[in-house]
Amino acid sequence: MANRKTAKKPARRKAAKKHGRRAASTDRTPRRWPIRLLLFVLGAGLGLLGPWVVYLDREASVRFAERQWTQASRLYARPLELHVGRAIAPADLELELNAAGVTENEPLLPGRWRKRGSRYTIALPEVRFADGIQPPVTLRVLLDDGAVADLSDADGRALDLARLPPAELGSLLPMDDRDRTLVPIAEFPTLLVAGVQAVEDRQFRHHHGVDPRAILRAALRNILSRDIVQGGSTITQQLVKNLFLTSEQTLVRKFNEAIMAISLEARFSKAEILEAYLNDVYLGQDGNQAIHGFGRAAEHYFGLPVRALSTDQIALLVGMVRGASWYHPTRNPERARARRDLVLTVFRDTGLIDEAEYERARTRELGADVRDLAPSRAHPAFIDLVRRQLRADYREADLRVQGLKIFTTLSPSAQHHAERALAQGLAEVEREAGVLQGAIVLAQPDSGEVRALVGDRQVRRTGFNRALDARRQVGSILKPFVYLLALAEPERWTLVTPVEDAPLSVPQAGKPDWTPRNYDGESHGTVPLLDALARSYNQATVRVGLAVGIERLFILLQQLGVEPGGERHPSALLGAVDLSPLQVAQLYQALAAGGYSTPLRAITDVVDPADGAVGRYPMRLRPIRERDALALLDFALEDAVTRGTGRSLAGQLTQPAARRTTIRGKTGTTNDRRDAWFAGFTERWLAVVWVGRDDNRPAGVSGATSALPIWARLFDDLPHAPTARQWPDTLEWFWIDWPQPLLAEEDCAAARAVPFAAGSQPTDYSDCVRRGFFDRLRGD
Amino acid sequence: MTDHLPNSIARAGLGAAVLLLAACAAAPPAPDERRTVEDRVRAPALANDGTSLQVYTLRNPAVESLERQAQAAEAEGDLARAEQVLERALRIDGRDPAALQFMAEIQLQQGRIDQAGGFAQRSWDAGPQVGALCERTLRTLIVVHERNSEWDLAQRARDRVPSCRVAPPERF
Repeated sequence: MANRKTAKKPARRKAAKKHGRRAASTDRTPRRWPIRLLLFVLGAGLGLLGPWVVYLDREASVRFAERQWTQASRLYARPLELHVGRAIAPADLELELNAAGVTENEPLLPGRWRKRGSRYTIALPEVRFADGIQPPVTLRVLLDDGAVADLSDADGRALDLARLPPAELGSLLPMDDRDRTLVPIAEFPTLLVAGVQAVEDRQFRHHHGVDPRAILRAALRNILSRDIVQGGSTITQQLVKNLFLTSEQTLVRKFNEAIMAISLEARFSKAEILEAYLNDVYLGQDGNQAIHGFGRAAEHYFGLPVRALSTDQIALLVGMVRGASWYHPTRNPERARARRDLVLTVFRDTGLIDEAEYERARTRELGADVRDLAPSRAHPAFIDLVRRQLRADYREADLRVQGLKIFTTLSPSAQHHAERALAQGLAEVEREAGVLQGAIVLAQPDSGEVRALVGDRQVRRTGFNRALDARRQVGSILKPFVYLLALAEPERWTLVTPVEDAPLSVPQAGKPDWTPRNYDGESHGTVPLLDALARSYNQATVRVGLAVGIERLFILLQQLGVEPGGERHPSALLGAVDLSPLQVAQLYQALAAGGYSTPLRAITDVVDPADGAVGRYPMRLRPIRERDALALLDFALEDAVTRGTGRSLAGQLTQPAARRTTIRGKTGTTNDRRDAWFAGFTERWLAVVWVGRDDNRPAGVSGATSALPIWARLFDDLPHAPTARQWPDTLEWFWIDWPQPLLAEEDCAAARAVPFAAGSQPTDYSDCVRRGFFDRLRGD
Repeated sequence: MTDHLPNSIARAGLGAAVLLLAACAAAPPAPDERRTVEDRVRAPALANDGTSLQVYTLRNPAVESLERQAQAAEAEGDLARAEQVLERALRIDGRDPAALQFMAEIQLQQGRIDQAGGFAQRSWDAGPQVGALCERTLRTLIVVHERNSEWDLAQRARDRVPSCRVAPPERF
């Protein structure tokens, strides 16, 4: 057998030789198929991988280029116009000057102001506005009785008007949702820039996106410790992961990360990459908002701009990069301190600080107190509105232009008053500290410009913006729109039309009848329509509303710029409609502007760095047809705050200017006293206040006792100029024997002057008129 | 080359060219709203300026100053700037009838017909409803209604124009 086997081998070799390669190949087939498979997989892989790598490369470069952190848009408040007669308190003028960066200082140089008694001298530098340049000018402003009494230049020449520079409100990346304070790399402390590299990526200056030695080192350590104890990611890889990828620990993600990191390094400078990293790295939470970047973290944890951080504070924040929650200075102070000290050691060992500084820093307490006092965090609710309007109304490509200037409608002084009114007002009206929340929207009615917006009693807290997002039942503040529809039919409804305020049942398909009740549980019998609104009687309002039609109410709300949504249930007549404070303000804007509807806006101009206009939010007017009805409603809403549910208002206004102003308004309280509303306006101001609990539980609030006092507090602080009220010529005034729908004479005991659309007044006379007539005949 | 084309094709081509030219001739030219404002709004109102009662309300000097700036911008053909400056004026006094009417005319020149109507209507509501301003407002509304094919409303505005021309009282 053995010989036979041996004998066969040469024969095979011969055959192989004879058939050449083919025979040889056939001979090796069983052993080479894995190699072939491997080659096939490799080829296919490369074929697929090539396009994938190209895709990743393109994605990384394009998306990074779109995020040029320090080229954020700058936001500006509306510039304050000064002219003779302008109502402004001295404190407000000073607040506006300081907000605009014009400071009280001597000697008087451009950008400074001084005060002698009630005369201000303000030296303004050249100011570039959206509509042109104001040359340097020194203003002399005399304030008297809460208004500008005289305005002249340094030579005493009278000026018609002058503008202060617009206050800078901070920066904004319109297409970015993250909470950050953008800082150019040159403004970061040198120790922070170098320290981050020393701790996170010492080879940052030298590698091309990935650091193979760091990866090997980390892998070795992880294998030895049988756990993931060290990472090998470079700063560039971390940035890529934060910006474009998830945190999942997979090989595919690591591969994508590496390719994108190499791509970034090939296309952008180290400084650009490091700047993006310092502005993007995750450093904790502020409520439901993530804190990104050292700029925002410095403000959040220390209440300081990043450039003002001390060595120990820098070390703490750099240490938190590894785990912002794990090393959180207030939640885990011991762990945070150990980490900070370790980072300080690295700083010392790498020569970034000397021994003395190391010892000084190490002995300091952590000092983090989540104070968040940074000026750039001011007015987050308003800036949120700006961001949303930009996104809604501008093309994304325009918003990605670097360094836009966005001119907004915010009044720094009005915003200050609104913030204070909400914070102090809530503290005053609530029974249990801290349970109530609130929101304020303040606008100029004619232009629709939003002058102030507060979405949280802690005004600098970002997150849930109640002014825009708290859609709550509005209660009785919706009633004026029911009555507006009624008054638009003067042949059917006037302010004196008798309305039954008595129990009623409204049939509902498949449900028990709806039986509305009044707030006080009483029915008030037959009342004039004016009283039904001013005293907010529910049963009377439902009767009026059912007569005018629920569908028409919803159409009216849409015409005024609000999409109420929800079911067309009769309870909508009493305000069972969920709206945000901003939406309520939008509805009332048309009432406050004398029947001219315009969208509420927070932006006037968007200008690109070369001062080319990107877009405008021009002033818009849309007349509402029912001018007579609007004027009658205006009369009724004045009655609501003098004789009706808001009659406590006058007693809460302390400033003479506010007390002289004619205010119209309406209270609103929802079921179980969950929500309190007050919407009120003058010719110059419109404000809506909401108060309630975030969890929508009964809050024990009411429009008159919770929202109205906050509104009054705000209006007391705002400037008011006397304005003449305009009534349409088509209205006619008659004496009415109140509350009877009968014509009277001025001498009648209950006589009251009431406006009517022409021809809609009552035709019957009161007995007092006849008595008066016969009395006159008798010569009494 | 056309000599070599079959007659039917040549005729069809000629016919198409004629039709195209006819279409061009038939299409109404886009209205030059700047001329419209001058010819149909301002000039006729100005013509009656001296013969009619004029009501000059007390105006804020700041608003008047801005109105002059807007006029300068308009004269330079910079309607966007004129609009911006008038917005400033209306922020100071949103119910100044002259500024509102000027804004209506700027809107009309920019082809924003509905906005022109809105501002003119507001000027009418806030204004004296007599004199040159009254006439400018009504004439603006006539143009706005015509552009919107609201012929009845245009006629009603036209019918009201004479009411602006009130003879001034004799002076003794």
